[in-house]
Amino acid sequence: MRIPVPTLMRQNLLCAAALGLVTLSSPFPRLQLVVHAFLVLALAPRQGSPLVGALWAVAAGWCLEGSLRLYPHLGGTAWADLTMVLLAGWMAGRWPLEGMKGWLQRLGVFSLLLALLTHGAVRLAAGPHALGWTWLWPVLTVPIWGWLGWRLLYGQSASWRP
Amino acid sequence: MVPRASRWKWSRLAWQRLFLVLLWLGHGGWVLMGPSPGQHWSALVESLSWPVEGLASRWEAWRSSRREGALETSHLRAERQRLQTELAELQRQQAEMAPRLAEAEEAILLLGLKQQIPLELKAARVIFTTRPAAFGGLILDRGNDLGLAPDQGVLAPQGIVGRLWSVNASQSKVLPADAPNASVAVMLMRSRATGVLQGLGNGRAAIRYVSNQEVVQVGEAVLTSGLDRVFPRGLLVGYVAEVAKGDLELKVVVNLSAPLDRVHLVLLLPPHPPQEVQPPFLTSQPVPKAKRGGA
Repeated sequence: MRIPVPTLMRQNLLCAAALGLVTLSSPFPRLQLVVHAFLVLALAPRQGSPLVGALWAVAAGWCLEGSLRLYPHLGGTAWADLTMVLLAGWMAGRWPLEGMKGWLQRLGVFSLLLALLTHGAVRLAAGPHALGWTWLWPVLTVPIWGWLGWRLLYGQSASWRP
Repeated sequence: MVPRASRWKWSRLAWQRLFLVLLWLGHGGWVLMGPSPGQHWSALVESLSWPVEGLASRWEAWRSSRREGALETSHLRAERQRLQTELAELQRQQAEMAPRLAEAEEAILLLGLKQQIPLELKAARVIFTTRPAAFGGLILDRGNDLGLAPDQGVLAPQGIVGRLWSVNASQSKVLPADAPNASVAVMLMRSRATGVLQGLGNGRAAIRYVSNQEVVQVGEAVLTSGLDRVFPRGLLVGYVAEVAKGDLELKVVVNLSAPLDRVHLVLLLPPHPPQEVQPPFLTSQPVPKAKRGGA
């Protein structure tokens, strides 16, 4: 069964709310990183019309770096977010969702890819820096924000089918 | 009017994709520029401006060297001008000092001569000369005021000059030894033969009354013999220039050693000096005349 795509208005409202949370959660970097991954990987990608999602992802990246990240040269996170949201949108069109299990698996892989790509892009833009373990928070919390995203995006049209 | 997008047959999705590609490439390019994006532009501008900078640098170096050369040239010109001015001033001072210097040198020689001759000598200055004229002589600046009298011997450091011919109140006239009417009792240094010196003019004189039997050499010194009681024995007169056999006597021509045309200061012997004094000018060979600087 094919899961219907949420409306553009609903998706944009959710993205705007998530972007606000990214900005407001800047005093809490781990939480901010989770909200950022939630926005970029779960809310922004949209099948067939990647421009809106790309803009939301770029905005999320710039907000994240512009909040508390004192890099010497910003832009790496926004580029990584843009790349990931385009990849996620293309995968959503190429391999449509069939359930929350595949959704969570896809988000887990995407969160790993996002962490690596962000680290590489920031390394290119701002120079070498420590990777740390903060990137694990979005990966480990994938079930939480993945389930939340599923509920917010597809909750009214899709039933719970793990 | 037809919109361009319709004319180009570009759909809205194509424009969106183009915008996405540009957005992605822009972000990627921005990221790839690295932590100091300005340095890429600086490096690019530096690379592009290298030829211009090289040319400008060489141009400026050439101008600097040219400026320094011009400055150095102007300094050298100023230095040369200063040196020329200084040289002209020194030459002027030297020209001013030359007569006084020559007179001082002559005075030193006279003083030395005066110390060597144990007689009461008096000094006088030659103020005029009439030697080029017939029966001419030297005019001294002292006369009766210094107690001078005719027939006093006149000396210069180089040799005898002549004798006083006439004396007035403040001037006196010297009859030079090369005058035709002058006569000095002389003797030859080596042969000791005596004779009488008679002037021939132009600084030359002849020795009369020397026997043909005497041996006289060219270059031999001629001294006063003291027999005329004008000059004491042994004062230098000159050097033998020519020697020739005559009918009865030798014809001996002498170059007077005293520069009669250039003498400025003279010493005056006392009247009737003693016949014997220590000869100060005894030399075996002719002495080159001392050069006089300036005038």
